[in-house]
Amino acid sequence: MSRAATFSSDRVMLALLALVLAVLPFGASGYVLYVVNLLMVFAVLALGMHLVIGETGQFALSHAAFFGIGIYTTGLINNHWQPPFVLSILAGAVLAAAVGWVIGLLALRMRDIYLALATFAFGEAMQWVFLNWESVTNGSNGMRMRPAAIGGLQLVSDLQAYPFVVVIAAFMLWLTVAIARSRLGSAFRAVRESDVAAMAMGVNTRGVKIFAFVLSAAFAGVAGGMYTLFASFIHPESLGFQTTVLVLTMVVVGGLGSVRGAVAGAIIFGLVSELLRQAPSYQEIIYGGILMLFMMFLPKGLASMFTGRAKGEKS
Amino acid sequence: MSISDIWLFIQQGVLSGLVTGSVYALLAVAIVMVFKTTDVPNFSQGEIFMSAGYVALFLLVVWNWPYWAAALLAIVVTALLAALFQHVVMQRVTASRGAGVQMVIATLGFAYVLKGLVRKTGLGDTPRSLPSLVPQDPITIGQAVLTLLDLAILGAAVVVMLLLWLMFTHTRTGQAMRAVGMNSRGAQIVGIQLSSIRMQVWALAGVVSAISALLITPKILITPDIGHLAILAFAAAIIGGFSSLPGAVVGGFIIGIVENLVGLFISSNAIVVAPFMAIMVVLLARPQGLFGGKLQVKKV
Repeated sequence: MSRAATFSSDRVMLALLALVLAVLPFGASGYVLYVVNLLMVFAVLALGMHLVIGETGQFALSHAAFFGIGIYTTGLINNHWQPPFVLSILAGAVLAAAVGWVIGLLALRMRDIYLALATFAFGEAMQWVFLNWESVTNGSNGMRMRPAAIGGLQLVSDLQAYPFVVVIAAFMLWLTVAIARSRLGSAFRAVRESDVAAMAMGVNTRGVKIFAFVLSAAFAGVAGGMYTLFASFIHPESLGFQTTVLVLTMVVVGGLGSVRGAVAGAIIFGLVSELLRQAPSYQEIIYGGILMLFMMFLPKGLASMFTGRAKGEKS
Repeated sequence: MSISDIWLFIQQGVLSGLVTGSVYALLAVAIVMVFKTTDVPNFSQGEIFMSAGYVALFLLVVWNWPYWAAALLAIVVTALLAALFQHVVMQRVTASRGAGVQMVIATLGFAYVLKGLVRKTGLGDTPRSLPSLVPQDPITIGQAVLTLLDLAILGAAVVVMLLLWLMFTHTRTGQAMRAVGMNSRGAQIVGIQLSSIRMQVWALAGVVSAISALLITPKILITPDIGHLAILAFAAAIIGGFSSLPGAVVGGFIIGIVENLVGLFISSNAIVVAPFMAIMVVLLARPQGLFGGKLQVKKV
């Protein structure tokens, strides 16, 4: 497998993606731009989950909670003070990361199914907090969010938010690739393959695990912040296990452990879930069917179709 | 709150908790036996349980079947459904070297399909109850008030648990299932056919799910979202250690009691979050659950 070959095909894909994204605002309707904005939020969510599950092998099911923390933090700050949105998004990311650190501590004590269910429990508990902390989140009525602002400009439409969403998504993508290529990325993968071996090689496994959670939560927090740029309303209903499952699906169907897979999965499943919204009566049947068929016939995800590398590789 | 109030609440909470807990325990047993023999954390457990309730409801309401026939067919259909899923889907996922994540997603897919199918029938549009065989007359135990139905649920659940225990200890099939749970390769070597045992375990889980649905739906309304209840069963299974059947039963009762005590002492609003707090507390203190064995460390 020549590294150069995949590298250049990545370049081509990226260039194509950039081209589409650059041309889009000139022709697309508001709805299409909304969907594209949403897809980029999903892409960042998927990248965050890729870091903790795909790279580090820690099975965490609390992504929607961190997404929610990002949305509420950014949204509330925007509502009260209207700072440049970069600051409010950063605040959301930092708070999500801080909570992620606490959840990362759980990962030190448990693994696999136990970790999955403990983080799942945390996710459900957070949704409960969003629903019941009425003085802050306005509970089950949902919360209106003032348009984000920067330097006197108010982002009131999908079109206005679009360039900022694209830039942030591109930055997060670059960050993910940079992390994967750094020593930290190697440490993540070492922990994924074997705790014991990683420790023997001198990897600080405790620190690495916690940091994976912190990073993943920060990504979800940023995704939440991106969401506030074009959405004006948030309801806790959309921050439950279903959202976590949707993101998990993107990462796994895209191809566990692959950045391209996570992005492709986010685009495809983001579109599928948006399209199926038009056919609510068949939505769940089709969606469930797709999940089962993928796991039966293409368990290593879309990425394995492109590279062919995952075929001969042990999981 | 005076001492006598507290004592009354404790009695009521524990007794009501045992009733709902017995159903969580049954579902937790279904989850654990599937996990032990096939390594699949079955995230479609709740929807299998929900579908069973709707099969019974359909036969009773639309086809006007007598209760015993509807109940029986609901049990059979659910067992077949679960076995079919294992045979067609999970077998294939396992064969293509699917790891935990892939299996979880496949079961989630099944859950979505079942929910979608039930919604399509339109029966789920209005929440309903299944008829109760036992009158809902109040009965006082100590100072707590239960209904006759409550006692029937608890009694039936305990009988089912005993039958399962007898099956696992005294029948060849049950022992084969346990053997697969302990060491699937070893079981294969002594002549147990893995794929058929796994199908039987899924079928058995289907039977248990259907019985749970029949037991609890006269007491609570059935909706397509009732599968959410399985989350409590998962909580129970985790507290019990996730690979221990007695642990699952104890966990089920604990969750039921905690839920009811929280409802009485704190607020009914906090009931939803209580099981998750219980999981977190138990796992932080004992990461392998109350009855779980030593944590396994993956070797190189």
